Amino acid sequence: MGGNTSQLSKENVSEYQELTFLTKQEILLAYKRFSELYEDRRSSLDPRTSRIPLQKMTELPELRSNPFKHRICRVFSTSEVKDGSLSFEDFLDLLSAFSDSATLEIKSHYAFCIFDDDNDGTLNRKDLEKLINHLTSESEDTKLTRNEMEQLINNILEESDIDKDGTVNLSEFQHVISRSPDFVSSFKIVL
Amino acid sequence: MTTYNNSGYLNPAYHDYETLEIDRRTSSKSHHANPYPREAPAWLGVRAPQSPTAQPGGDDASGGRWQEERQGTDESIPLGFISTQPQNPPWQHNLNHTTFQIDPDAHDRSAASQISSSMSANMTLRWRGVSARRLSLFPTGDPSHLFPEDVIRNELDNEEQDLVKELIGLSTVDRIQAVRALPMSVREKKHVRSQVLAFKSSKQSQQRGCCADCSESVSWTFRRFGSGLKAAGQALELWQGTMKEISGRFGTSVLTYFVFLKWLLMFNVLSFLINFGFITVPLLVYDPSPNIPPNVSFRGLEILTGVGYFNYTVMYYGGHSNETFAGQVTYNMQLAYFLTIAIYMVLCGLALIVSMAGSFRSNYVVADPSSDSAWQLLCSWDFNMTNERAVRQRKNNLRVQLKESLSENAQRKLLTLSEELSRLCVHLASWFLSTILALGCGASVYYLCLYEAQMLAADAASWSLLEEAKTLLVPFVVSLINLCVPLFYSLFNKFDHYSSHRRQIYALVVRNVFLKMFILGVLCYYWMDVVAQNVSCWESVVGQALYRLVIVDFLFLMLGSFFGEFLSNVIGTRMLPRIGVPEFDVARNVLELIYAQTLAWIGIYFAPLLPVLQIFKLFLLFYLKKISLTHNCQPPQRTGRAAQMQTIFTALLFFPFFVGALSIVAYTSWSLTPSENCGPFRGLNNSFGAVAVWIHTLEDISGSQWVIWIYQKIIKSPIFYFIVTLIILMFIYVFWQVTLGRKELIALLRKQIVKEGKDKMFLLEKLHSLQTSHPNATNKQANQQQRIGQFSDRRSPGSQSNSSALVQALLARQQFEGDLSGGVPVPADISTSSGLIQAMLAYQRAEDLNEDLYRMPDGRLSSFAPLPPPTRPRDEDRGTAGGPGDPVHAPGALEQAMQARQRAEGADDLSSSAVMMQVIQARQQEERLQWTPGPPHNPAPSGSSALIQAMLARQQAQNEFDDGY
Repeated sequence: MGGNTSQLSKENVSEYQELTFLTKQEILLAYKRFSELYEDRRSSLDPRTSRIPLQKMTELPELRSNPFKHRICRVFSTSEVKDGSLSFEDFLDLLSAFSDSATLEIKSHYAFCIFDDDNDGTLNRKDLEKLINHLTSESEDTKLTRNEMEQLINNILEESDIDKDGTVNLSEFQHVISRSPDFVSSFKIVL
Repeated sequence: MTTYNNSGYLNPAYHDYETLEIDRRTSSKSHHANPYPREAPAWLGVRAPQSPTAQPGGDDASGGRWQEERQGTDESIPLGFISTQPQNPPWQHNLNHTTFQIDPDAHDRSAASQISSSMSANMTLRWRGVSARRLSLFPTGDPSHLFPEDVIRNELDNEEQDLVKELIGLSTVDRIQAVRALPMSVREKKHVRSQVLAFKSSKQSQQRGCCADCSESVSWTFRRFGSGLKAAGQALELWQGTMKEISGRFGTSVLTYFVFLKWLLMFNVLSFLINFGFITVPLLVYDPSPNIPPNVSFRGLEILTGVGYFNYTVMYYGGHSNETFAGQVTYNMQLAYFLTIAIYMVLCGLALIVSMAGSFRSNYVVADPSSDSAWQLLCSWDFNMTNERAVRQRKNNLRVQLKESLSENAQRKLLTLSEELSRLCVHLASWFLSTILALGCGASVYYLCLYEAQMLAADAASWSLLEEAKTLLVPFVVSLINLCVPLFYSLFNKFDHYSSHRRQIYALVVRNVFLKMFILGVLCYYWMDVVAQNVSCWESVVGQALYRLVIVDFLFLMLGSFFGEFLSNVIGTRMLPRIGVPEFDVARNVLELIYAQTLAWIGIYFAPLLPVLQIFKLFLLFYLKKISLTHNCQPPQRTGRAAQMQTIFTALLFFPFFVGALSIVAYTSWSLTPSENCGPFRGLNNSFGAVAVWIHTLEDISGSQWVIWIYQKIIKSPIFYFIVTLIILMFIYVFWQVTLGRKELIALLRKQIVKEGKDKMFLLEKLHSLQTSHPNATNKQANQQQRIGQFSDRRSPGSQSNSSALVQALLARQQFEGDLSGGVPVPADISTSSGLIQAMLAYQRAEDLNEDLYRMPDGRLSSFAPLPPPTRPRDEDRGTAGGPGDPVHAPGALEQAMQARQRAEGADDLSSSAVMMQVIQARQQEERLQWTPGPPHNPAPSGSSALIQAMLARQQAQNEFDDGY
């Protein structure tokens, strides 16, 4: 639990500064938060390889109550075994995409990945249903009914599926995003 | 590289999605331009023998350098990249790179011709293409059975090469931006960056000059400095934690209010700094003690009323002198006062216009005109939210909103005429009532002001406390109106239903704006018309009135938010749970802020230090509202459109309010006579006269003729303004036309996309029906897939050549099957069966060859060497197949295929690319065989080529569409 930020060398910081949308303070803060979560005492924290498991990661207060926390971790994880664990660099990636200065292009790209539950590159009906369920359902009795869900998905597809192939692909999604100006300000996680 | 080069090449998805996109951008890859596999052997046949010779001699030093570089960087590439060709000796890498690489000069040219700002967009487009392409063709099911992982990965590597090349052509700053904007993980970005940097440094080491060195280090320093500044700005940012807390609990829409407040605070700090620095400080330096009459003392009530003691300080207009201070430097107070106010107003106006225009561009113009659509609701989910309860609440609200959007959609169609009429009546009635109310308020304020004017006629210095307190009457009433009437308006809104929530809010906002405008208009009229004529030193009196208004408004804001929200919270939780906890009404609160700011702007001329008051006010208000919010309010039920509301607020702040304040200040300084006995402009006809006087003094000084010329010919000449106005109108007209044109273009492109989408669906359906119409075929396919799986399991994941060959064989077979099912007429059955045989053979051959390849430990001489032979039988075949319905051609083709197979088995040094070429030929032969018996009888092959063409067309259209956006 080495909470000191000196482990992150200056070169590393400036490199990360160049590769992400984060400022120096944000990177150092991210490192601090990351090392607080990092529990593995056997090995010291290495920004590239040391990973925090998904369960632990989702305990981060900024992610804890996010309905997409698992998807977010999985999307940004570069883990070989696909367990959704995050290395520090993955974590920086996450923060960069969710930062204030990230471009709309980046944000919508990652939003698409997060919403694309089965990772098949398009938002099909199942993905959309999952998305809506993530954002609405709390319990069985307040859930949208089957009929409403169908109708809602139809509306969504009608609205965004420009080429009428029954799914929303990335460019269609980005088109939608470009027309909803709230997205940029709301797609944001700040440490 | 040859291998994956070709595999990408033969992969139909590659043609469908990427080729055009790349080729349109970089001229360098012209050999990719022809996507038809039919003609592919032609260029390979021609080009292949050339490339080994072209490489050493043909390319000049730059090409060679690139190669070295490539080789160098290849070693730093992760394992997966190298393992794609474990058998290839390094020099073959070089060869392949030459065939694929671009001429750096050509690339530079193409890169330079692109607008650098659009680069990142292009690049992300392309990267988007990678993932989308993989899947867009196969909406049903997993595509991996057609395109094994290796193939895909190799294409990704190809992409990476292109990306690196593109990045090399950029300037440093652009490159950093572009790398940042890549949707990749940090590790991948690092890899790309190291490749680019390595190339750059090698290039530099050859042409390193002092100048380049210098500029590099300077730009590096600047970047460092920029990022340092950014970081410092971030560290200094006010209320960061509080803002985060608010957005975590209440979401972005409530945060809008606080952001707006902070923004206004910045305006006032700027205003204070300017006014204090250029007006107050010089005055205090030269004349530190205010000349207060002996009978005036500080009584305490001044803090509220602003009269008495304050009247003689620098707080108001009257406290300023008209002298030119002559110390070490002469300081013309008149001019300073006038110019400071004017410059501040201009700065404010510019800042407002810039922020308003930017916010309109990003938030309003592009936004969907259709109201609360489901997507909009889903997309505006707040990732900021960190509070568990708030998230739950938000989810519930979202569910309600989604349901409403459904019912709204259903409802919209069911509105009858009578309902429409009654709704219209309600609208009219509520608008009428609210306008009457606003007018009434304005009138009452005016009469109250006239009453106050009688009192002002008496000497203010001899006022008793009660008389002084009476001056608070007008501000009190005005603030009361501002507090209560909006509540009435909200009540109207309960009855007055609009088709959308947004319109409802707009109606409310417009009514409130009218009210505030009426009141301010009446007050200004009173000041300009009544006070200015009747009172001596009237500017100070107006300043005092504004001071009182600001103070009392603040008190009412405090009371209103504390008691309004606190009481309704108590009522909502304890007594009438039906009402519930109040929501934070962003629109009303922001309008209050706008009103307060307008007062400060108007007051800037009459009381230059009013911004100080405003700063305190806003600062306290922030904490007050935050406390009130966290204790009394719940997150708003209806969310979304926060960005648009913010745009509207900015626009409102600019248009009626700032422009109104500006025109009042301008009117005052141009048309009204300043008071005779006090203030900096005493003795002048108007405040602008200060400039005229200054110009007059300049006439004696030589070398200042140009200033006089500017003053005479530009500032004072109406013709100049007339011409400027004309030019601006012209520009507006042109831009308006351009906008109209763009709109039309967008509509056209949209239609085109829809059309192409239909085409794609049609073709996909056809493909799908072909795939599924043969159950035994699918069985075989499954079988083969299994085998593919075995292969890829057995071998290293990098050995993509065999699997891509398999894919090709599969494709050939599928196509043939498609032809089979496509209603093939009688004479074709021989040829189809031979086609089947051929495809099977091709498949087997590929398999055999792959095993050979796998067993082969050492490299081969050249990947292109065995290519020429296959072209011969193909020509032969063309000759034999020429006759329509020729029965001989089938055995001929069979034989040939057998030969090809034997050849393939025999030739140990045959590379995988050759295999693929043969497979292609097999496929083409088969196609041609189908085709030759008589095109009118057999539509299937032409259909398949039409398929390719249609897909290409669609691709192109999509590219154009993307570029257009």
